[in-house]
Amino acid sequence: MPVWLREFRWRQTPAAVYLSLPLRGVRVTSANIFCTDQYLKVSVPPFLFEAILYAPIDDTNSTAKIGNGIIFFTLYKKDMAMWDSLTLPNANKEKLQYLRENAVLKAHEKAKEETEAKKVTKQEHKKYALEATMKLEEAERKRIEDLKEKERQNVTKELELWRKEQKDTEKQKRVQKEEELYQEAEQLKEKKKEKMNNAGIPNEGTSKTRLKPTKGCGSYSMFSESLKEEWLPAPRSAATIKINFTPRVFPTALRESYVAEEEEWLRKQAEARRTINADLSELEDLKEEEKNPDWLKDKGNKMFATGNYLAAVNAYNLAVRLNSKLPLLYLNRAACHLKLRNLHKAIEDSSKALELLTPPVPDNENARVKAYVRRGTAFCQLELYTEGLQDYEAALKINPKNKTVEKDAEKIRHLIQGTTQDS
Amino acid sequence: MSAAGLERPQVVAHVQQALHYTLFDCKWVPRSARLLCLGSAARGTGVLQLHELRGGRLVLLREIEKAKPIKCGTFGATSLQQRYLATGDFGGNLNIWNLEAPEIPVYSVKGHKEIINSIDGVGGLGIGEGAPEIVTGSRDGTVKVWDPRQKDTPVANMEPVQGESKRDCWTVAFGNAYNQEERVVCAGYDNGDIKLFDLKTMSLRWETNIKNGVCSVEFDRKDVNMNKLVATSLEGKFHVFDMRTQHPTKGFASVSEKAQKSTIWQVRHLPQNRDIFMTTGGAGSLHLWKYEYPAQRSKKDSEGAEMGVAGSVSLLQNVTLSTQPISSLDWSPDKKGLCVCGAFDQTVRVLIVTKLNKV
Repeated sequence: MPVWLREFRWRQTPAAVYLSLPLRGVRVTSANIFCTDQYLKVSVPPFLFEAILYAPIDDTNSTAKIGNGIIFFTLYKKDMAMWDSLTLPNANKEKLQYLRENAVLKAHEKAKEETEAKKVTKQEHKKYALEATMKLEEAERKRIEDLKEKERQNVTKELELWRKEQKDTEKQKRVQKEEELYQEAEQLKEKKKEKMNNAGIPNEGTSKTRLKPTKGCGSYSMFSESLKEEWLPAPRSAATIKINFTPRVFPTALRESYVAEEEEWLRKQAEARRTINADLSELEDLKEEEKNPDWLKDKGNKMFATGNYLAAVNAYNLAVRLNSKLPLLYLNRAACHLKLRNLHKAIEDSSKALELLTPPVPDNENARVKAYVRRGTAFCQLELYTEGLQDYEAALKINPKNKTVEKDAEKIRHLIQGTTQDS
Repeated sequence: MSAAGLERPQVVAHVQQALHYTLFDCKWVPRSARLLCLGSAARGTGVLQLHELRGGRLVLLREIEKAKPIKCGTFGATSLQQRYLATGDFGGNLNIWNLEAPEIPVYSVKGHKEIINSIDGVGGLGIGEGAPEIVTGSRDGTVKVWDPRQKDTPVANMEPVQGESKRDCWTVAFGNAYNQEERVVCAGYDNGDIKLFDLKTMSLRWETNIKNGVCSVEFDRKDVNMNKLVATSLEGKFHVFDMRTQHPTKGFASVSEKAQKSTIWQVRHLPQNRDIFMTTGGAGSLHLWKYEYPAQRSKKDSEGAEMGVAGSVSLLQNVTLSTQPISSLDWSPDKKGLCVCGAFDQTVRVLIVTKLNKV
């Protein structure tokens, strides 16, 4: 049960009510005071003071001063009138209850409103701050732009001035030139007059001198020009300088080449040279040089050149046994087989050579053309003309400028057309 | 940071003009505020346009159409009174035009079998001494020097040896024209070769290879004892060679700089200050560089032969103006800092570079 505080003193003016409430021995804070427009409560446990006011007051403006054991209330009346008493006289319990609840509700609403108002102000503050920073940045940017504009305008002005100067100087020069020319003309005329006076001139002479003025007038500009030309040196005597370009392994420029493929081709070549099929048991009785595939290849070529095709084939066979990855061996062996009319073997060897000649790069163009041509010839000699034509066309695709290949391809085409007509 | 930035030379875009043809070259007409644009129209004919810079705009004065597209042009070999333009076109023809009467060329020769990629002139405009000469470099691998007073045959011809596969010549430049006899031609090729030909002795004086195709070469001054040579190439690299000291085996000393990831199309030195040059890039950017000389320009190597020492290059400013390559650039010889550049987006831009006095 709280202790009701009943000792209070109050006085009033028409506008306000002053209430002093002694509260000894306890600390009072603003949280303990609850006030609405017609209800006032101070609750500091265990003390309790409550008053239902006679008339409504303006609770937002009313104040409470807390100090030395006394709370001093200044309540501003809503209506200017004198109150008979501080509290309502006939307050029964229900009314009290109702009033209390009302008061509480009102207080709640008020609190809500206040928080919302606070939120709104906070938002506005934020907005304001943002706008302020934006303005600052804009100002900065504008400043820089203005500087640039100023520069531009300065330079434009200077340009205009300079252009005018140019025009003026040009005009001046022109005027000057004209004056000079006029003066020169005058001088020439005077000179001629002098000559005419000095010389005792026969008739022919006078005609000559009379011709001179017309020539003179037209030629003063020529005079100045020819003087200038003598001043320049004669054109150089023609000469040629021959130059070489930096060599490259592949004929195309670095950025045009298919670098990846070319690298692969180079690698394959290097590998091919290195692999030597070690079948040494059989080959122990061979001489050192006979174990070298290149040497054997050269031998084979020589024998081919002399017409000893079987011996050439033998040489190539041995070379292949030693190193099966050199495409040129197969290529040359195919040529030998063609000459020996071992056509199937020729086809086999050309095919093997073509296999080894991948990837197709400009470097192994010639080899590939030869392989196709040899295989094509073999096919034709076997009367498989369509396959032969295919190979010839492949060869032409690589090297379109080869005339013999073109002619042969034409011949084959005619043959094919001829046989189809017959049948 | 910004304070230091504002103290550096600024590149200000003064005027921009869209054109209706592909622009290959743009040049200032000497002693005037007029500029010339050379290019190729959509229907495969050549276009010459003369513009004048008035106020803040470019005003078109004349438009001339020719049979073949025009690739390059120069005023370098004419006198100041005549101001004839020498052009090289896609058909390999070298023509010299009088712009007052452009119907018939003053000089014409079918100099090359293929397109003339680059042209340069020396001996005119009151700069330098000696005979006026024009050099052209072409896709057929030859470099030819012409004298406008000699018809039909070049006065010097630099061609590949018989049987050698030809490489495109992409750029040519004159240099070392400090007296009446001395002349030097530098040519850059698409395989990275740079060759220096001496026209007095008619021989190859020096050659080197910078691995990537050479897009542009220029001496810092044509009319002095050769001082510096800048060569730009594909893949964003350029080399500055110090040409005062030639070592018997090592040639000229150089410093190289990788500026941007794209091709450097052109290099042009400022006529008023030979240590400042501008490079144009394939990404539409312009870089302004300054060359600083080393403390000693030459030193002796182990055998006692003189060897050059290259200095260093510092970037003063860079700016991106376009998305397409800027293929041509020309400084005005009359106004310091005024330049015109043409890009493949069919626009010509007049730029002003400020604060060059304070560099």
